[in-house]
Amino acid sequence: MAKKAFINSAQCLRTLHCYAHTICILLFFHFCLVEAMVGLSLGEKSFIKGGIAQDLRTDGRKRLTYRPIYVETGVIPQASGSARVKLGATDVIASVKAELGRPNPSDPDKGKVSIFVDCSPTAEPTFEGRGGDELSTELSAALQRCLLGGKSGAGAGIDLSSLSIVKGKVCWDLYIDGLVVSSDGNVLDALGAAIKAALSNTAIPKVNVAAQASPDEQPEVDVSDEEFLQFDTSGVPVGKHYIVDATSEEESQMSSAISVSINRQGRICGLTKRGGAGLDPSVLLDMISVSKHVSEQLYNKLDTEIAAAEACDEEE
Amino acid sequence: MEYVNPEGLRLDGRRPMEMRQLRAEIGVVSKADGSAVFEMGNTKVIAAVYGPREVQNRSQQMNDQALVRCEYSMANFSTGDRMRKPKGDRRSTEISLVIRQTMEACILTHLMPRSQIDIFVQVLQADGGTRSACINAATLALADAGIPMRDLVTSCSAGFLNGTPLLDLNYVEDSAGGPDVTVGILPKLDKVTLLQMDAKLAMDTFENVMQLATEGCKAVATYIREILLEHTKQLEFRRGL
Repeated sequence: MAKKAFINSAQCLRTLHCYAHTICILLFFHFCLVEAMVGLSLGEKSFIKGGIAQDLRTDGRKRLTYRPIYVETGVIPQASGSARVKLGATDVIASVKAELGRPNPSDPDKGKVSIFVDCSPTAEPTFEGRGGDELSTELSAALQRCLLGGKSGAGAGIDLSSLSIVKGKVCWDLYIDGLVVSSDGNVLDALGAAIKAALSNTAIPKVNVAAQASPDEQPEVDVSDEEFLQFDTSGVPVGKHYIVDATSEEESQMSSAISVSINRQGRICGLTKRGGAGLDPSVLLDMISVSKHVSEQLYNKLDTEIAAAEACDEEE
Repeated sequence: MEYVNPEGLRLDGRRPMEMRQLRAEIGVVSKADGSAVFEMGNTKVIAAVYGPREVQNRSQQMNDQALVRCEYSMANFSTGDRMRKPKGDRRSTEISLVIRQTMEACILTHLMPRSQIDIFVQVLQADGGTRSACINAATLALADAGIPMRDLVTSCSAGFLNGTPLLDLNYVEDSAGGPDVTVGILPKLDKVTLLQMDAKLAMDTFENVMQLATEGCKAVATYIREILLEHTKQLEFRRGL
C-alpha cells in the first residue's frame, strides 16, 4: 500500500508557554524559598533585579525576549509523533501515542486526549521518587486546562471530534506524554512547544470501517492536526517590570506569575495565575495584552523551527 | 520462531557476534555535575550525576565514605505499549539497586566521606539491554562529573537462541524466552562486577555465552575510552591549549 507523504497542514496545535515574572521589591517572604532552591546571594539577587529594571537580564536578553528555541521532531520512533525542544538549558521531550478506544458515553462523537507530564530526576535531584509528583501534576493540569478546554470540551485547542471513528463505538485515544529532562526555568513553555511540535509530527493511520465488522487499519498516514493554540504568560510586579521566559534563577525571584494560553487568532484559551503576591486587575490586563504581542513573535519563530525540523527529519 | 536464519543472520540483520551500533554523548544536562546519553541500537538512556554534595538525609550519612544513591526510571513512551507507572515498580527498584551496587564498587568512596553521590538514569527508548546501557551511561556521567573511580564499568548482555550464542540482545530476542546473561566488568582490572542471568543454560554453554558478553563489554570499553578522549580534547581546545 502506498504511503502518502506527511502533510504538515497549517492548522497545527501550537502551545507555548512563556513566563513573565514579577520582580517584587518586597522579597522578605521569598528569602526562605530561594535559599532552599537556588541559593543566590544577596548581591546576585540585587544584580538580577537591577538588571531587569534596566531591561538587561543576566544573559543579555531584553525583558520580553525568548531564549533561542531548538526543535527536533521524530525523536521517539515508536510513538505516533514526538518532539524534543530545548529552550536554553531547559530540555523537554513530548510524545504522542494514538490507540483505539471507546469514546465516553457522554460524548459519543469525540475522541479522548490525556496529557501526562513526568519530571525526570535528571533535571533536579529533588524529583527523585515522589518528589517530582507535585510539579508533574501542576504542569499536567495547566496543560490540560489550556489544551482540552472546559468540562464539556468547549473551547479546546484540540478538535476532539476529528478523533472519532465510529460514533459511540470506536475513537482514537491520544496519549500525550511529556518528560522534563533538564529544567532551567520556563518548563511550561517548553512543554507547550514540544506538544505542539509533537502533534504536528503525529501521523495517525487512516481507518477504514468495514460494514458490520471491526475496523481495519490501513497503513496510510494521516495528519493529526487541530486548531492552533498557544500559551503565553506575563507577570507584572509592583515595580511595573515583567519578564518573559525566565531562567530558574529569575524564577526563584518571582513573586507571582501568570500563564496565558493564546491561540493563533489572538483569543485567550486558558489562564492560570500561579501563587504569590496579589496583582492589580488593570496590571493583569496589561500583561495579557503584552503576552498577545509576544506570542505572535513566538508563533513565527516556532513555526520556522518546526518546519526546519520536519524538513530535516524527512531528509533522513 | 527463527531467531537466526540459515545464512546466520539475526532478525535485524546482524551476525551472532555483532553488537548493535553504539553512540554516546557527554554533557547533555547542563545543570547536572555530569551527564551522558548512551545508545545501543534503539535503546536510548540518559544518565545524570549530582555530587559529591552534602548528604540530604543526615541519618544515612557515613563518616568514612560517600553515600551512593541511584534511581532508574523509564519514560512513559519508552516501550512499545505505553507504560502507566514510570517509577516505583518492582523492576525499576531492582535495577536501581543493581546499578547502585555496581557503581559503588568502582567509585573510590573513601575519598569523599560524609558526602552523597546521586546517579539518575532515565530510559528514553527501551529495546532490550536497558540495564547494560544504563551502566554504560552512568560510567560516562561519573567520568564527566570528575568523580574518582577505580576503572570504567562497562556492561553488555548475551543470550543463546537456536543453538547459537548471540551478543547484545534486542527486545524481541530478549522476550523469546531464552537465557539472557548480563555481565558488567572493570576492563583494565579484568574483574567482573555484575553477573545476572535468567532462564536455564548448560554449564559449558554458559561459559561460552559469558565469554561472549565479556568480549562485548571490552568493545564497549574501547568505545567509551574513545568518547572520553574526544571530549577531553574538546575541553582542552576550549581552554585554548
